[in-house]
Amino acid sequence: MSRVAPWHQTNWDWRAACNFIGGGSGTGLLLFTAIAAAQGAPFRVSGLVGLALVAAGLSFVWLEIGKPWRALHVFLNPQTSWMTREAMVAPFLFAAGLAALLLGSVAVFWIAAALGMLFLYCQGRILFASKGIPAWRQPTVVPLIMVTGLTEGAGFLAAVLPWLAPELPLRWPLASLFLMLVARTVAWRSYLNQLAAGGAPAKTLAVYARFDKPFIFVGNALPALLAVAVLFTGGGALTSLLAGALAVAGGWALKFTMVARAAYNQGFALAIPPVRGQGGRLPGTKPGWTPPAE
Amino acid sequence: MSGDVKKVPVYCYQCVAGPDLLTVKVRDGIATEVEPNFKAAEVHPGGGKCCVKAYGLVQKTYNPNRLLSPMKRTNPNKGKDQDPGFVPISWDEAFDLVAGKLNELRAKGLTDEYGYPRVAASFGGGGTPTYYMGTFPAFLSAWGPIDFSFGSGQGVKCYHSEHLYGELWHRAFTVASDTPNTKYVLSFGANLEASAGVVGVWRHAQARINGYKRVQLEPHLSVTGACSAEWVPIKPKTDPALMFAMLHVMLHETPRDKLDLPFLRNHTGSPYLVGPNGYFLRDAETRKPLLWDLKRNRAVPFDMPDTDPALEGSFTCSGIEVGADERVWQHDAVSVETSFTKLAAHVKPYTPEWAETICDIRPGTVRRLTKEYLEHAQVGATTVVDGVTLPLRPVAIVIGKTVSNGWGGYECCWARTLISCLVGALEVPGGILGTTVRLNRPAVPRQASVAKGPDGFMAYPMNPTDKQNWVSRPNVRNAHRTLVPLSANSPWSTALGPTHLSWIFRKQVPEHWPEVSAPDLWFVYRTNPAISLWDTPEVAKRIAEFPFIVCFTYTRDETNHMADVLLPEATDLESTQLLSIGGTKFMEQFWDYEGYALRQPAVKPRGDTREFTDIATELAKRTGLLEKYNQSINKGSACTRLAGENYDFSLAPDKAYKAEEIWDAVCKAASAELTDGKETQGLDWFKENGYRVKPFPRLNWYLYPEIVKQGIRFEMPYQEQLLRVGAQLGNRLHESGITWWDTQLKEYQALPAWKDFPGVWEQDTVRLGGKPEEFPFWLLTARSMQYSWGSNVGIPLMDEVSKNVKGHHGVVMNAGKARELGIKEGDLIEVRSALRATKGRAVLTQGIRPDTLLMLGQFDHWATPYAKDMATPSMNTVTPMSLELTDATGSSADIVKVGVSRIAA
Amino acid sequence: MARYVMVVDLRSCVGCQTCTAACRHANATPPGVQWRQVLDIESGEYPDVRRTFMPVGCMHCGNPPCMHVCPSTATYQRDDGLVGINYDLCIGCGYCAVACPYQARHIVHRASFAYGDQPTESEAARFDEKRVSVATKCTFCIDRIDEAKEKGLTPGVHPEVTPACVNSCIAQALHFGDKQDPESNVSQLIKENESFRMHEELGTDPGMYYLWDGHK
Repeated sequence: MSRVAPWHQTNWDWRAACNFIGGGSGTGLLLFTAIAAAQGAPFRVSGLVGLALVAAGLSFVWLEIGKPWRALHVFLNPQTSWMTREAMVAPFLFAAGLAALLLGSVAVFWIAAALGMLFLYCQGRILFASKGIPAWRQPTVVPLIMVTGLTEGAGFLAAVLPWLAPELPLRWPLASLFLMLVARTVAWRSYLNQLAAGGAPAKTLAVYARFDKPFIFVGNALPALLAVAVLFTGGGALTSLLAGALAVAGGWALKFTMVARAAYNQGFALAIPPVRGQGGRLPGTKPGWTPPAE
Repeated sequence: MSGDVKKVPVYCYQCVAGPDLLTVKVRDGIATEVEPNFKAAEVHPGGGKCCVKAYGLVQKTYNPNRLLSPMKRTNPNKGKDQDPGFVPISWDEAFDLVAGKLNELRAKGLTDEYGYPRVAASFGGGGTPTYYMGTFPAFLSAWGPIDFSFGSGQGVKCYHSEHLYGELWHRAFTVASDTPNTKYVLSFGANLEASAGVVGVWRHAQARINGYKRVQLEPHLSVTGACSAEWVPIKPKTDPALMFAMLHVMLHETPRDKLDLPFLRNHTGSPYLVGPNGYFLRDAETRKPLLWDLKRNRAVPFDMPDTDPALEGSFTCSGIEVGADERVWQHDAVSVETSFTKLAAHVKPYTPEWAETICDIRPGTVRRLTKEYLEHAQVGATTVVDGVTLPLRPVAIVIGKTVSNGWGGYECCWARTLISCLVGALEVPGGILGTTVRLNRPAVPRQASVAKGPDGFMAYPMNPTDKQNWVSRPNVRNAHRTLVPLSANSPWSTALGPTHLSWIFRKQVPEHWPEVSAPDLWFVYRTNPAISLWDTPEVAKRIAEFPFIVCFTYTRDETNHMADVLLPEATDLESTQLLSIGGTKFMEQFWDYEGYALRQPAVKPRGDTREFTDIATELAKRTGLLEKYNQSINKGSACTRLAGENYDFSLAPDKAYKAEEIWDAVCKAASAELTDGKETQGLDWFKENGYRVKPFPRLNWYLYPEIVKQGIRFEMPYQEQLLRVGAQLGNRLHESGITWWDTQLKEYQALPAWKDFPGVWEQDTVRLGGKPEEFPFWLLTARSMQYSWGSNVGIPLMDEVSKNVKGHHGVVMNAGKARELGIKEGDLIEVRSALRATKGRAVLTQGIRPDTLLMLGQFDHWATPYAKDMATPSMNTVTPMSLELTDATGSSADIVKVGVSRIAA
Repeated sequence: MARYVMVVDLRSCVGCQTCTAACRHANATPPGVQWRQVLDIESGEYPDVRRTFMPVGCMHCGNPPCMHVCPSTATYQRDDGLVGINYDLCIGCGYCAVACPYQARHIVHRASFAYGDQPTESEAARFDEKRVSVATKCTFCIDRIDEAKEKGLTPGVHPEVTPACVNSCIAQALHFGDKQDPESNVSQLIKENESFRMHEELGTDPGMYYLWDGHK
């Protein structure tokens, strides 16, 4: 019962992870759909999917909170709470998105996409503000959350565009996907380095150590290779689908891992043991922690 | 926060370290919250606080597993595997059953054909059940002979050698450091932070802040080790060797002037001359022991005024020696040595290097600890207590369970007391003090029991071993008067005797020993030998043989599983009793006040439970013993005498009083006693105020002033009396053809020598058919403050908070050793002795010797609700109970050799 | 204005859990919810091992991360330093629990009792439906602090207005008082002894001071 070393937080489970998954993929998709729309691509279907993903994510959170019928209280602390801010962005995002879809207005859709980015930024800040979870409170978590959201959006678009608008060239979405995957790899590694550099729960690092390789190779390198392959060989809606799906799955796995597997709490630390007649100062202890990298 | 809220003052005495004074917050008749009795901070030496166990009392009261009406057994077959078939009955029927049986037995005679009392009674908890059983002691007293010798752990799992030898040497049923004044404590396994209760914790915490140093010598890092300056992981059962090495360093590596030579010369038997046969050289006419007077340059009786006794040396003189059974040796110009010189020679071989081979402690550590002890002793320093100048010796050695009982216990107690004597730290400020008197009389205050014996030492009421008076035919089943002279014959003696012998003898009567019958009726209260003794499955079988068992019952448990009648008493927060508090008492209760505290019903008794006092009165009435019962209460069996010089609240002999009336009289008498008859407030006053005290002089903490006043010497170092008593006991037993106590007789040495004490347990494994190499670990237990004595194993709050303390509910083992064996944290492991196995989850720690395992507390439950589902291992199942493991005081220890294997993750 | 803090003398604490039990009593928390608990911390390797007992709970931080993240303003900080929770506002989102680096916040989603699903009489009398599915934590026995003003008593000195854990401590390890008052017990203890605060590097300004030695 009495635990000293960090243990996994129990307050946010897969449902919370789904909010980051839906929110990231959805808002990323909105942005890339907007870019595609600017080039004349239809945006209704993927725009709707993007909004649906965000909505699904929020629904999962609603399922998780203890007092769902008090959900409106979530709006009460815009001064400091990024959860309130996220919640406040959401209605405008849906309003703009649905309006754009109804009106068929690319300009309005761009507003929705911009609000989506704000929403995604809020999600990054939600994690960053969680001081109790070393894996979340790293400053680099914000770019990582944003970059993976965008990567997932690019992945989604690359996957669905050949089916929605076969006539449009796939070149730029695949190039974007490739660049986002590179950016995500960089963001992930710098996040990981920052985490280890500052010291972290050993179990968090162990979870990430197990996650790192599959994530890099299957979630990033492989879709990047596939994207490059399509870019240079042309055609290949299926390959494009696969590349996009892998990029999306990689991002989802990352957020599930971050929220529901690597989220060990701070644990406790004894900076200096008490002097109980033995004389001098003794070394402290921080059980379950891997100290900062030298 | 609505409704009627009141705070009801009561006491908690669930463990021997109590009582604690507390209040229970009661809202609309329901107990909700326990708090310290803040008012008591003025008088209580632990700030008026109460221990964690007291917080279990609310759940204890409302436990849905409580029995709320009397029950009787319907299945005549008894045993663990038998369903007792308990059915509820009325109190009237229950009284009919019990009183009917009692009347039937009384008609047959109070003792059976073997001479044993027909009625037996067992109360556990180091005597604490007495503080919850109201006037039942008056009923037992009215009844006549009762056999208290069926133990549940007392006598064998207590500080047993300390009890007996402590009372012999300084009226110390238990020994404590004078913590507020001490600066250095060597603690050999005394787990004070778990065992010494609120006052012990309070005093030692204060001492730590004040900068005292305590070194904990113990095979595992207990909570007490945690709170100490240093942990020395000594090998189990080797403590005497380390103490002997300390004696060696003090007597052979230290200048004599570092010792308290005047103390040794004038206040111990050190100068007494020892003859060639090992007995004191005595004056032929007066038979007084002789010492060598340097003033007169000749041997003189020890009590001759104006002498300068020689502490050391060999002298030629004449006199007599008196051995066993009045054997007298006449000596003319024989060479004799002082006791001190004998001692020095005796400890010569016990070097720290020698001790290292036994204790696994470096010689440098032993020398350093001894040096620190000597430096802190401040020999020559004085302090003033209550206007009297006393020596100040701020050094103490305290010893814990398994050190102070079983083989090696005598040697430890002797060495500890002796080391204290060498620096004059016995019964003086800062040193070691006795807390309580149990075997001597009168017991309160401690000073009252001190009288000078013929040899100049404190007189001690040994059970006779001479031919005329030896109790050859035991009058109780554990035969403590027959086998253990030191156990004396006070009302406590039987229950403090070798209480496991009754169970052993019930299984098999040894050679030339009378039959040991089952009691015709056995009363049981707040004790559970079926789980708390050793070899518990065997004990449960013996219990099942008893024909009629009456259990005062809180919930079903393993012992009352065999009962015939269950009587549910109104429990801790539901009933009334007055208790004497203050003065000095174990574990470390040293007060500046003395007086009385009340336990009262904070809430109405639940269900059909009944005040214990009313149960006792009804039994007395139905057995025709009312007159004797009331007289016993009048004489003080319910806390205090009801009549004094200028007051009389005596009960009329022929009336059956209600509990409230009885306790009102007791309260009035208590008020009168405390105020010399000026005030006589009764129960209502105590209900409102909770307790009442008067000052208790601090000088009474120390025995030294009384010793000086009476011109008595501490019986140290040479144990001539024990040597003679042992020899006489041997003669008596051998005359009866008894040789099965011969090993125990070897303990009676004037200067105890090291014997292979760990070997006793190693050999016992072989006796049971085990191969030593298959049992490489020592299995030990340790006190759990959250559980100990409280019978609170079925209380979820205790379960919950105890889990915050490492080791509860598992098998503690060394992390490095576990890695070698492929055992991980939380793995299910089997712990097997040569007797049988138990299992539990591994709890890995760096804080235990690699050769040692630890199971906290005592959990062997298979019937107690809640507890039976805790799956907590207990060493009691795997610990053998045998004569071989029993020492001369009739004690053994919680230790057994075991092997370990992993069962599952 | 006052800043109420707790001072824990680690030299005194014996890990007995009396404060844990007293807190469970005073605050009627459900089984397993310990607003105050004492950790049993081991350091070093055999035979050079130390074991330390460390009371923990809500630190009533000067800069409380739980409050900053709370979306509903249920978590608030008072002028006297106490960090509280308004159970009527809390939505039970758990955000405060992951924001607290002291693991001090508890959310239970269904009522549970000592002996199973049914409360004992005592538990039934004290059961508060409002505390289900919302965040709870140590309040420094906030009702008592409020009473202090009414009664003119001093928290940390008079037991009626002092947190239950402090009142219960059998080792004088726990102390409570106003750190802004230089004459208070806690100010004196902090001044006269060496102390540290837990996870201070996270910028939380925790209100629990751990004494580990007297000034040399």
